[in-house]
Amino acid sequence: MKQHPLCTDCERELDVTNLPIPTGLKQEWSAVETRRQFLGRSGKVLGWAALASLFGEAALRGSAFAADTKSPVTSPGRNNLGLPHFAPKAKRAIYLFMSGGPPQIDLLDYKPNLASQYNKDIPDSVRGNQQLTGMTAGQSRFPIAPSHWGFKQYGRTGTWVSDLLPYTAKMVDDLTIIKSTNTDAINHEPAIMFMNTGNMNPGKPCLGSWLAYGLGSMNDNLPTFIVLQTKTNPKENNQPVSSRLWSSGFLSSEYAGVGLRSGGDPVLYLADPDGIDREVRRRMLDAVEEINRQTQAEVGDPETNARIAQYEMAFRMQASVPELTDLSKEPQSTWDLYGPDAKQPGSFAYNCLLARRMAERGVRFTQIYKRGWDVHGDVVGVLPTLCQETDRACYALVTDLKRRGLLDDTLVVWAGEFGRTVYSQGGLSADNYGRDHHPRCFTTWMVGGGVRPGITYGETDDYSYNVVKDPVHARNFNATILACLGIDHNRLTYDFQGLDQRLTGPQPAYVIKGLLA
Amino acid sequence: MISAERVTGAARTRVMRSPWTWVVGASVLLAALPFLLHLDGIAHGDWLQFLGRFHPTLLHLPIGLIVLVPILEIAGARRPALREAADFVLRAALVLALPTFALGYMLAYGAGDTGTTVTRHMWGAVALCIGLMLCILLRPAWVGRQQAFAYPALLSASLLALLWTGHQGGSITHGGDYLTHYMPGPVRVLFPFSGPKGGSSGSFFALHIHPVLDAKCVACHGSGSAKAGLRLDSYDDLMRGGKDGAVIVPGKPQASLLLARVTLQPGDPHFMPAEGRTPLTSDEISWIRAWVRAGATATSPNIPGVSIAGDQAEPPPKPVGDYSGLVPEIQQMQRGLGAKLVPLSAKASDGLILRTVDMSSSFGDAQLAQFEKFAPYIVEAELARTAVTDASFDTLKRFTHLRALHLEGTSITGSNLAKLSGMTQLTYLNLSGTKVTSQSVAPLRKMSNLRHLYLFNTPAEPVENTARSTP
Repeated sequence: MKQHPLCTDCERELDVTNLPIPTGLKQEWSAVETRRQFLGRSGKVLGWAALASLFGEAALRGSAFAADTKSPVTSPGRNNLGLPHFAPKAKRAIYLFMSGGPPQIDLLDYKPNLASQYNKDIPDSVRGNQQLTGMTAGQSRFPIAPSHWGFKQYGRTGTWVSDLLPYTAKMVDDLTIIKSTNTDAINHEPAIMFMNTGNMNPGKPCLGSWLAYGLGSMNDNLPTFIVLQTKTNPKENNQPVSSRLWSSGFLSSEYAGVGLRSGGDPVLYLADPDGIDREVRRRMLDAVEEINRQTQAEVGDPETNARIAQYEMAFRMQASVPELTDLSKEPQSTWDLYGPDAKQPGSFAYNCLLARRMAERGVRFTQIYKRGWDVHGDVVGVLPTLCQETDRACYALVTDLKRRGLLDDTLVVWAGEFGRTVYSQGGLSADNYGRDHHPRCFTTWMVGGGVRPGITYGETDDYSYNVVKDPVHARNFNATILACLGIDHNRLTYDFQGLDQRLTGPQPAYVIKGLLA
Repeated sequence: MISAERVTGAARTRVMRSPWTWVVGASVLLAALPFLLHLDGIAHGDWLQFLGRFHPTLLHLPIGLIVLVPILEIAGARRPALREAADFVLRAALVLALPTFALGYMLAYGAGDTGTTVTRHMWGAVALCIGLMLCILLRPAWVGRQQAFAYPALLSASLLALLWTGHQGGSITHGGDYLTHYMPGPVRVLFPFSGPKGGSSGSFFALHIHPVLDAKCVACHGSGSAKAGLRLDSYDDLMRGGKDGAVIVPGKPQASLLLARVTLQPGDPHFMPAEGRTPLTSDEISWIRAWVRAGATATSPNIPGVSIAGDQAEPPPKPVGDYSGLVPEIQQMQRGLGAKLVPLSAKASDGLILRTVDMSSSFGDAQLAQFEKFAPYIVEAELARTAVTDASFDTLKRFTHLRALHLEGTSITGSNLAKLSGMTQLTYLNLSGTKVTSQSVAPLRKMSNLRHLYLFNTPAEPVENTARSTP
């Protein structure tokens, strides 16, 4: 027997509809609210009534735009939170997530002094009391592994970039490179959770959901928050990436990220089956919506509203997604820029190209996951592949946004969940090494609306082990991203479990002013 | 009173003369001290400096007491007991002022301080001490109503000397423009002489190097006090260096003494700024280094590779008017047309964005015309990939508050672009993917505020732009 959705009392299972009682009584029952609904609602009503009388007519009218209370369901882009808090520099963001933890020492955090310390043990004073992972805790020594690749200075800024990133090197004068990013977690799942949701435990909304909730949609025909996964390369060490990373947590599920598939149809079952035209589909959806509205009126579960919104979004996406993913009209200059990889659906380059198209079409937040950066061993063998897959595409995306005039109001973020150790995991040989997880410092970059171009922020010690100047904790990293989008991280909150929840968590977080333009 | 009259003349002369002798002697000694122990700009011994540094600790005590004296004298008109206390306070002030002066002199002489501000501060203190001694001598006559004006005049003069001396001292510690630096505009108008000096304004030196030196160094290396013979309050002085030679070697940050001294470990005896003053921030050091590397000129407007927040700061946008009365109408427009007017931020005066992205193909000139009445409140128009044509410029030219205009991917040819020339606030114009030509965009060059013009994928696209976009 199915319980009433709101009944948490296990002993008294009730389903009035099955009882042998007159139909009129059943209807009467369904019209009666549950005690919980009644108390919950009456409390709120009294509160709002009090507030309204305090503020007078202004509260009802709203300062800028009041909530459109009549149709909350069909307008996901509603703006009743009064956001952005201040004039934003960026309207949208693209987050290139390098899952696994890119080795900063081999990419952007140049440490010229390491070469002379090859195979020497990292000093205990540097390592301090740093927790080790299970992978290297058993090692008897921690031999320093200098980067296998050379570094050169690029651009007017003279930024040192590894030979592995020839394309990134071309845009260093535009980038805001953060060498001092640091996090709390040392293993993938908690660390990637922490970067995305501000909490190591699953269940909190991620950055994209907070943005969707706070800023709303710019284009009602496309999801506000889209996630693109890059096809995995079996040669790489791919850590799992799961949908709880783009979950909306305790926020309504209409703010969750919508994943587009990396192969075949970007959205499954989006096309109407044979014999069903758009008119029939519309009528069907109208009928389903009517039933859902009845259920909502009966049960009062807000998730029903989310479901109605999702059906409507899916209907609109039937038209908008094929147009979004149709690359046939892209000019030759696009392919020259992104390279041949971009023609392979599911490649990182393809996803970057899609991200640019989404930016043009008003998708608020696009997150691209690229897995495989977890280089515990064979750095020399795997890292060039990873860089080859991503380097040109990152450059192409930034350049493409820039030349099309989109970089002025788009923030692009490149980050993983942590960095990697300077000492070798496993055997260190003259031509190969491995690197373990390292949360104390890692290198990230941002570019575009709101951030200061052409700077390197923060410094690490000679071993790229500890931050010695201007640390940027993951919390502050997220607070800074929100600031670029016009949001005060302390004021974008959602009351849940008695706490004004926010992306940066209950601990104090700060916007890193030095990163802002 | 009568018994006092009976004091013999000889005894009276003896009593009166001896304090006068003391005061005159002490005054001469004070005034001669700067000539006996000349402030020669050379440091003299640790003991003097050690003791001298108690000068700032002690000096506020006599100041408080001196200021108390006139208060007691005035209040004493009502309550005579207070006036009796004034004499004691005056003497106590002198007892404290003399050692304060001595410590101050030790500080300046020991540390080798020179400069006009130090000299003024010293002479001010000499005058103040002499003034105090004379006040003590003349006060009994004033209390006895024999001399009505000498004591009040002298006390007032001493107070002025105190004010002036204190200000000079403050300038030594905090810098000459300490009081006026944050003077708000309206107040500044009243004091046209004060405020930051211009120099070759707009140059990197004037904008970023000079303010750093002014805030962090000039207190000891400026017009007031030029320690080690080094002054940093102007470009010429900076390049001249001090008694250890040049502190800036153009093109060679490693050889520049100034950079060497500010980048030492903070505990180092040669670390600058000395005496626990606020060190330079890493940003400030990196600006100086970049500026030196680039040749350390007074005039070059920017340094390659250095980007400082606020450098290219755009002027704050003009607030738009109050549109709250139009809100119902705006909402109705949205329901009818689908195009949205969204507030830029929670601050209504930031204006509105005209957003058409989800109905772009059906948004044309006629629809745009319907938004004309909201034009004064619209600061950004997103018309990318809409059906607007060249005819829309007749409407658009009335959107005079626009700061950003997106027309990318539309069918405009640019023949009417000149009509935008009235948009004085327009900073961003995107014409990518349109048919505009280099002739048709030529009128835009006259728009001085237009800083971001995008012509990607148009016949007007600059050649080097294409070359750059393909690696």
